[in-house]
Amino acid sequence: MRILDHPILGKIADAREVEIIVDGHPLKAREGEPIAAALLASGKREFRYTKRFAQPRGVFCAIGRCTDCVMTVDGIPNIRTCVTPVQAGMKVDTQQGLGKWGGTEGGNE
Amino acid sequence: MGENVSENELLICRCEEISQSEIEEAIEDGARSLNEVKRRTRAGMGLCQGKTCGMLVAGMLARNTGLPPAELKPGTVRPPVRPIKLSVLANSED
Repeated sequence: MRILDHPILGKIADAREVEIIVDGHPLKAREGEPIAAALLASGKREFRYTKRFAQPRGVFCAIGRCTDCVMTVDGIPNIRTCVTPVQAGMKVDTQQGLGKWGGTEGGNE
Repeated sequence: MGENVSENELLICRCEEISQSEIEEAIEDGARSLNEVKRRTRAGMGLCQGKTCGMLVAGMLARNTGLPPAELKPGTVRPPVRPIKLSVLANSED
């Protein structure tokens, strides 16, 4: 779900629609919006699984502070998706634990 | 660090998944500052460097030890304050 007409911020700005690859599946997103916003809009809420207890994590602070929403983006692990803008063709993968460089690890959903 | 901690316990440090009871244990064990708790439990050693749990641990220290909060030494903060790629630093003009 996206807020298209915010009571204070007004109507959502125009943005180009681009495609990103999330866990191997294509997803339409608005260019420049935070990756986390695109994922939440698509209904995805589990962004990574923790190292110690393998529990799901998603957006927590949403301002780039807590690092709960980190995912593997274009092969780089621990990217804060709430402050990283969407670019066309980005590969976004659910991260397991501390993540791996390069590899696509996919979600365990 | 207690490996028999239940995953349903209240987490204080979200990055390193350190529970309330583990931090209480560390304080009981003699930890008297944020750094001492960190070295015993890893709380505050994760990706966010204690931005989320620092205040909570400080509060627990003050409550459980009776130390005035103002006398608690702040934890060691590792720069940079926000995660940044080395390539950004390497390519900067100055």
